[in-house]
Amino acid sequence: MQVLLQTLIGGVTFGAVYALVAMGFSIVYRTMGLVNFAHGSVVMIGAYAASTFYLATRLPFAVAIVVAIAVTALIGLVIERFLRPLENKDFTLMLIGTIGFGAVLEAGAVLVWGATGHAVPSPVATGPIDVAGIRIPTYSLLVIAVAAAATGLLALFLQRTKRGAAMQAVAMDHQAATACGIHVGRSNAMAFAIGAGLAALAGSLIGPMLYVNPTMGGTLGIKGFAAAMLGGFGSMPGAIVGGLAFGLLDAFAAGNFQEYSELVTFLVFAVIVMIRPTGIFGEATVNRA
Amino acid sequence: MRRILFIILAAVAAWLLPYGLGGYAIHVADVAIIFAILAVGLGLTMGVAGQINLAQVAFFGVGAYTVAILTTRAGLGFWTAALLALVTAVVAGLLAGIPALRMQSHYLGIVTLGLALAFTNWVTNAHVAGRAEGISDLPVPPMFGVDLSSGYLFYYVELVVFAVALAFALLVVRSPLGRRLRAMRDDDLAAGALGAEIPLLRMTAFVLSGLYGGLAGILYAGLIRFVAPESFNIANMFLLLAMVIIGGRSSILGCVVGAVALSLVREALLDASGYAQLGYGLVVVLVVVFAPKGLAGLPGQLRSLLRRRGGGSRAQLGPFQPYEAAARAGGADVLEIRGVTMRFKGLVALDEVSLTVPEGQIRGIVGPNGSGKTTLFNVISGFYTPGQGAVLLRGREVTGMAPYRLAQRRVARTFQNLRLFEDLSVRENLLLGLDRTRTWWIWRYPSVPWKVLGYERALRRRAGALIERFGLAEVADAEPRSLPYGIQRRIELARAMAMAPDLLLLDEPAAGLNGEEVRQLAEIVRSIRDAGVTVIIIEHNMGLVMSLCDQVTVLSSGKVIADGPPAEVAVHPDVVAAYLGDSMAAPTEESAEAAVEEATR
Repeated sequence: MQVLLQTLIGGVTFGAVYALVAMGFSIVYRTMGLVNFAHGSVVMIGAYAASTFYLATRLPFAVAIVVAIAVTALIGLVIERFLRPLENKDFTLMLIGTIGFGAVLEAGAVLVWGATGHAVPSPVATGPIDVAGIRIPTYSLLVIAVAAAATGLLALFLQRTKRGAAMQAVAMDHQAATACGIHVGRSNAMAFAIGAGLAALAGSLIGPMLYVNPTMGGTLGIKGFAAAMLGGFGSMPGAIVGGLAFGLLDAFAAGNFQEYSELVTFLVFAVIVMIRPTGIFGEATVNRA
Repeated sequence: MRRILFIILAAVAAWLLPYGLGGYAIHVADVAIIFAILAVGLGLTMGVAGQINLAQVAFFGVGAYTVAILTTRAGLGFWTAALLALVTAVVAGLLAGIPALRMQSHYLGIVTLGLALAFTNWVTNAHVAGRAEGISDLPVPPMFGVDLSSGYLFYYVELVVFAVALAFALLVVRSPLGRRLRAMRDDDLAAGALGAEIPLLRMTAFVLSGLYGGLAGILYAGLIRFVAPESFNIANMFLLLAMVIIGGRSSILGCVVGAVALSLVREALLDASGYAQLGYGLVVVLVVVFAPKGLAGLPGQLRSLLRRRGGGSRAQLGPFQPYEAAARAGGADVLEIRGVTMRFKGLVALDEVSLTVPEGQIRGIVGPNGSGKTTLFNVISGFYTPGQGAVLLRGREVTGMAPYRLAQRRVARTFQNLRLFEDLSVRENLLLGLDRTRTWWIWRYPSVPWKVLGYERALRRRAGALIERFGLAEVADAEPRSLPYGIQRRIELARAMAMAPDLLLLDEPAAGLNGEEVRQLAEIVRSIRDAGVTVIIIEHNMGLVMSLCDQVTVLSSGKVIADGPPAEVAVHPDVVAAYLGDSMAAPTEESAEAAVEEATR
């Protein structure tokens, strides 16, 4: 029972980060129909930006996160500008283009930070809290709280502000949105910047839990992507649920299959997705003849 | 003739190449050939068949690791192990292809990428695979006393394998199978309606992927004689992807050029590999945005730029040559629909629809927008499975059958919004309709490839006749999207007739046609009927329906409200009401006032 709960806590912590990654994917996907395979690399850049700034300046971790978000949002804007000619057109090409961007970011990180990577000390000094024999790391609580806050803010933005509503409109029908006087290009750019910002947040949070290195983006990106798929592509609640579900799957696979956890995780994922390709909150795409 | 000369020159050059290369350079050439084989495999799956397969490098690994494990752990001979490795890689391809039956595009990409990660995870941790250190000291492949540990001699083995693999890939691409794969890539619904067995074709694509991956893996094991996880990681998958994209994913030769070029560039930039990685990424992004067809597509892009400057003449349709009239067999019902109900969540699109269409009839189906006409076609052609009711074709129940099965039972259709394969020429569109073979027919590809070529020649002759009949000679080798709308409609009709259908479904064939084209359409449809084909036609052009159809069925809100000869149906009060609106039921000022009064009381 205790082992189970302990695994649960680890799973939820990583799940919160996967949810952030998945939300970043989803917001870009639903606004502009672009599957951003470079997202994982943006997460990695965010992790590097935050940790480097944190280690170099000794300013509070929160400031480092903000800096990382600014850096990656800028990168997001550049990617969006480059791929704009392909938006809403050829899916496969966009997909490959973003894979190309991912490679560029990864190579750039190797050039700037070197291939080896670095460890990041936990920004929270206090020891784990003991609840009925289960040790909850304080940093886990922080991660979950920040992820929840970010989710709340995003929901508020999408539902309560004019720009957020405009973004939702573009997501539903970009042509109709244009007809209503919404600047689709600007809305897309903003979606991309928000997505990249979420990636940076995820990256900065996961930095102290993992070893920050140039290839971390690959695995994190795929896991975040898988989480988005599990929840239902393009659905925000789906991203959260999918992220948590994938975090738990990951944690239980790690607990029971040790070094083979990745193998088990992706096999289970493949089977789940085959049974229900549209995920929990289903992206309903009807092919009309 | 020039092509044969080119092949001979290329072969001679490849044969003589080792004489001009040093010991290391020949090793580079050996590796380049292995990547070329891999790239051909990826080009077939991703470029030709449109399956986003990011596990190609894992199939490569399966091939190499199987050889390594069987030779060092089980003590098998190299070639026995190689044969088993090929089988294993194909099986891996089959297994990885199963998800493709349920999902496509980015979904498939992420699942295959996950499977590739699962593979590397396994080999890095399994004892039998030598964990992170890999397996070294693989035996040298024996070959009648020839010492294959020499890179020079191994080059010739690779060259022969590569030539066969390339020839086979080109045979696939330029024959019925490749055409079907490309059709599936462009529009799997339309390909299904033409009788292509989509699930089998997708599996075929993954089998090819596994086959080429396994082949490359075996050669790799024989050449390097050492396998380790990092040779099959995601970074190499990206390199492979870059080769295929830069070369041109839908052109096999482009893939080869991309693979060889990038292998050489990688070798040249070995000292600056960080910058090289950056460079590949940037080139891939630039290619995707500016030259989506890669190096192979550049000549075409330049030509079309020049042509735009020159300006072209407007394509013209030739006259239609009527079919020979067949003796009219009367009586039997070709199609019977019994109480079909089709619901989409809350909306009832078809409500207890029943109708029968006798042989040799032209049946019109009319009704206001949203009355369920196209839904009815989708049920008949197998795109939708109705909630209730049955569809019978010549007395045999076919409810819920997949579109390709119905196409094999000679049901052909056209689409309201045209579904021509845009990246295939007009001739190829028709060839797809003419090719009535089943997918299992492809066993001929590995066993009797010359028969495939013979069949292809026969198909092309028939396509020539069909092109003449429908007056498409002038546009036969153009891409459909470059043609005027009226011609595209004619092509779609010709493609449906290529299937030699028993029942032909036309969904608004006159939409967007001018007066003369409508007149020609009526003439064509009558000739088709006289040739013994039963025709059902959805149309809004009432003039055409009245003059052409033998019987008209009127749908409104998913119900059949009238059925009979055109003249009778046109004056039926329900039909008039459905089209013009029933003035009695619509809210008037008086009824609204009455309602308000009632509510306030």
